[in-house]
Amino acid sequence: MRRGLRTLILLSGLCVAATQALAAEPYLAGLRRLTESQYRNSIADIFGPGIAVQGKFEPDRRIGGLLASSGTTLSITPAGMEAYAKMADGIARQVVDEKNRSRLISCTPKSATAADRGCAAQVLERYGLLLFRRPLTQGELKARLDAADSATKLSNNFYTGLRYSLTTLLSAPDFLFRVEMAASQGKAYSLDGYSRAARLSYLLWDSTPDQALLEAAKSGGLENEAGVTREAARLMASPRLETGMRAFFSDFLQLDTLGAITKDPTIYPKYSDEIAASAREETLRTAIAMTLKTDGDFREMFTTRRSVINRPLAWVYDVPYNLNGEWMDYEFPAQSGRSGIVTQAAMLSMFSHPGRSSPTKRGVALMDIFLCEPTPAPPANVDFSIVNDTNNPNLRTVRERLMAHATTPSCASCHTHSDPIGLSLEEFDSIGERRLMEGGRKVDASATIGGKQFSGGAGLGQYLHDNPRVPACFARKLYAYGVGANSEELEKGTVQPLVDGFGAQGYRVQPLLRAIVASPQFFAARPPAPLKTAMNPRG
Amino acid sequence: MRFTRRFLLRGGSAVVALPFLDCFLDSKGRALAATGQAIPTRFGTFFWGCGLTKTLYLPKATGPNYDDTPQLASLKPYKNKLNLLSGFRAYVDDKPNIQHWTGNAAITTGIAPANDTQFDARTIDQTIAETIGHGARFRSIEVSCSGNKRESYSSLGGSNINPPETSPLSLYSKLFGAGFQDPSKGDWKPDPDVVLQKSVLSVVADDRKLLEMGVGAADRARLDQYFTSVRELEQTLDAELRRPQIAAHVAIPDAPDEMAMNKSVPNLRKVTPVLAKLLAIGLATDQTRVFNMAFSEPASTIYVPGDSRPFHQSTHEEPVDEAVGYQPITSKFSTYSMEGFAALLAALDGIPEGDGTLLDHSLVFAYTDTSNAKLHAVDGIPMLLAGSASGRMKTGIHYAGAGTTVARVGLTVQQALGLPVDRWGAESNLTNKPISEILA
Repeated sequence: MRRGLRTLILLSGLCVAATQALAAEPYLAGLRRLTESQYRNSIADIFGPGIAVQGKFEPDRRIGGLLASSGTTLSITPAGMEAYAKMADGIARQVVDEKNRSRLISCTPKSATAADRGCAAQVLERYGLLLFRRPLTQGELKARLDAADSATKLSNNFYTGLRYSLTTLLSAPDFLFRVEMAASQGKAYSLDGYSRAARLSYLLWDSTPDQALLEAAKSGGLENEAGVTREAARLMASPRLETGMRAFFSDFLQLDTLGAITKDPTIYPKYSDEIAASAREETLRTAIAMTLKTDGDFREMFTTRRSVINRPLAWVYDVPYNLNGEWMDYEFPAQSGRSGIVTQAAMLSMFSHPGRSSPTKRGVALMDIFLCEPTPAPPANVDFSIVNDTNNPNLRTVRERLMAHATTPSCASCHTHSDPIGLSLEEFDSIGERRLMEGGRKVDASATIGGKQFSGGAGLGQYLHDNPRVPACFARKLYAYGVGANSEELEKGTVQPLVDGFGAQGYRVQPLLRAIVASPQFFAARPPAPLKTAMNPRG
Repeated sequence: MRFTRRFLLRGGSAVVALPFLDCFLDSKGRALAATGQAIPTRFGTFFWGCGLTKTLYLPKATGPNYDDTPQLASLKPYKNKLNLLSGFRAYVDDKPNIQHWTGNAAITTGIAPANDTQFDARTIDQTIAETIGHGARFRSIEVSCSGNKRESYSSLGGSNINPPETSPLSLYSKLFGAGFQDPSKGDWKPDPDVVLQKSVLSVVADDRKLLEMGVGAADRARLDQYFTSVRELEQTLDAELRRPQIAAHVAIPDAPDEMAMNKSVPNLRKVTPVLAKLLAIGLATDQTRVFNMAFSEPASTIYVPGDSRPFHQSTHEEPVDEAVGYQPITSKFSTYSMEGFAALLAALDGIPEGDGTLLDHSLVFAYTDTSNAKLHAVDGIPMLLAGSASGRMKTGIHYAGAGTTVARVGLTVQQALGLPVDRWGAESNLTNKPISEILA
């Protein structure tokens, strides 16, 4: 209603109010397109897991190391809208389907062949609240009821009418985007209660706020620190925290890359879609075990030899598989050279060429992911031919050829930066199998970064474990993930207290999550745009 | 292979003239009798990464009857239906030469991009769609030959891309699945479901006013894009509510099976002709008038099984063979990319339409990201224009741009398609000089 009233004022051209007058009223501070998993989880939570979501989602784009951050910059293309509309129709059809009606439609119409505004309103109000993550305005509800009426008349079927009006909710920008509304609070601007609820639940559950969280938003319970802390604790106590953190780790570790790479089957016959999916699952299970199951020091992700593997992975790792079940806890022996997630098949195969390993790709990716240090693009005019003259009898291994190129002065600065990490992983091939020889020579997996020498996967794992920039980068990205910002553009004043607290709490991820949602900036909003730009002359 | 064979059987017969369609043709054989509607002119792009090999593709002669070159051998059957454009340059001014991106984006927007993977304006196909696309079911169709969902270089601007269809089955479903109106159906009538779907969109479009408050410029642009997309979908549904009228002699094949999608050259050879054929039938049945096909990404990683170097790595790592003056293995990838283009042209030229073929009523713009990929050079980027745009473009010509801006090609294309533009591009790429030598 409040917003509806302001709309009226604006539309009638009474632009007397300047920024100050607007500030006390809510305004649109941000738009975040739902990710595919957020969409799927939201539908499952609202309508039940039995409702199939069938369709193609628009691709995301990684910004500051995170796909989630692109949600604040991307919109919906014509092809995307078509796909969303089809998905919406498919979902709405299932919701009004005879076998789901008793569970999902909370009232029975007076007649199944005629409009019943009362019953329709009851259903639409309920799902409007859940889908828009706030109550519908009177205008929004009326438009939907009118749509239901006319569709019912055309089809002589109450449920058909309901189906089309549900589709209008599922196709609306208020569902497809998280519309973040804000208002002034004293001198500062911050998100309103419903937008806060969404920020909390999508960070912690990767899904839409539940009824209790929406109730808290309605009663003002999310507008003070105690209330936020209480609700965050409730959300974190739920098993759905695992869903939320899997979504984060998948994004942070760039595990979506597994869906875009191919391996040359003539060189790596073992590799398959099943291996790729298993590798993703292994790394996610490891990350969840280290951070949620044990609530331990997250840096052990780089040093642990424990993993969770299935039969296809046992084949890649060339280890025995002694279980009839699907997944098995496994501890690699010390001489395996494995050390945490950076030596797992997922990370090793994502950042390689289809037919061979690439120390540069691995180095550039791991520096970016774990140290928040992107490597600049190479200069345009470079002769790389030496790197791959495989006929040169003096340059038999990837390392030898890379070194011959990387010592060229114009190339040295970046390669010194990115290559050592990758070179330490040369004992693993393009799909993560161990290999100690290459081109008839023993692989040299030694590396030196900033005067620190180490060798092999275990050396790299320890280096990352001990490097203070690793937890600092992690805290920065987790925060950026929550607020939908570019991790490279966050202010130090926002991040540093979180980093300090992370260390003080033994680098445990759950206290870090609590600190992030309690951070004074977590619900901060940009100021409203001046009224002039808010007025769209094209209306 | 089961699928390919079946597809060829069905698809092969699809090109056979169907007698009942003849009644739509008026005496000149060019327009539809029922409405007098002219055969539409289509526009498409074909993108491939990492350029061509100068010593192997560039003819010595310019003008008509230029000499054949080995890298363009697969295009020989269409030599008289296309123009080869060489020697154009993407000017970067004081922006960086963003490797594998600057050339791509400058060619399709006329503007050297400021940021990697972002377009500083909408791409040319989208501008063209606004003029020639009206009335077709889809504004444009995008296709990735390797099945990569990020492999599309069509955009309304910024970092959003129009997502591609990633397999023959997904392309088939888009074109001929739900919503397809069969022009040969005798008892055609509008689908009441589509009327209702349209009513949904008008409710959604009204949601706009609630989102106007205090919104910043960037979010406003994103909302505009969302509501533009809603309008586009309304037009798609409008098209589905009209009885379709076509002039081409085609039949709709059965749905293809799923095919493996990847970047290996043998697989691309299997998939590309199938995608091209579906696309051609989609154009012929007026599902769209604008398409964008990406054979690979800009730093192309297509590969030959057994060789550990994909195309892009090969451009940087393979030594130039001094005896011949080029990179022997790398150059083959360029040849393969041209074979992909030839497959597209074969599909378009294989559909009779009016007094010619679908290709004659099209203009297909093939372009790439670099000239010499080894150096990421953006001067001398090779481009091709195939089809005569329903007679508005002369063909069979090799034109050398002599270092003038790549935007001249975009300007020429727009003028050939009847867009009222007399200048295009920005900064040093701004031009008011179309290639008049090839405009009819």
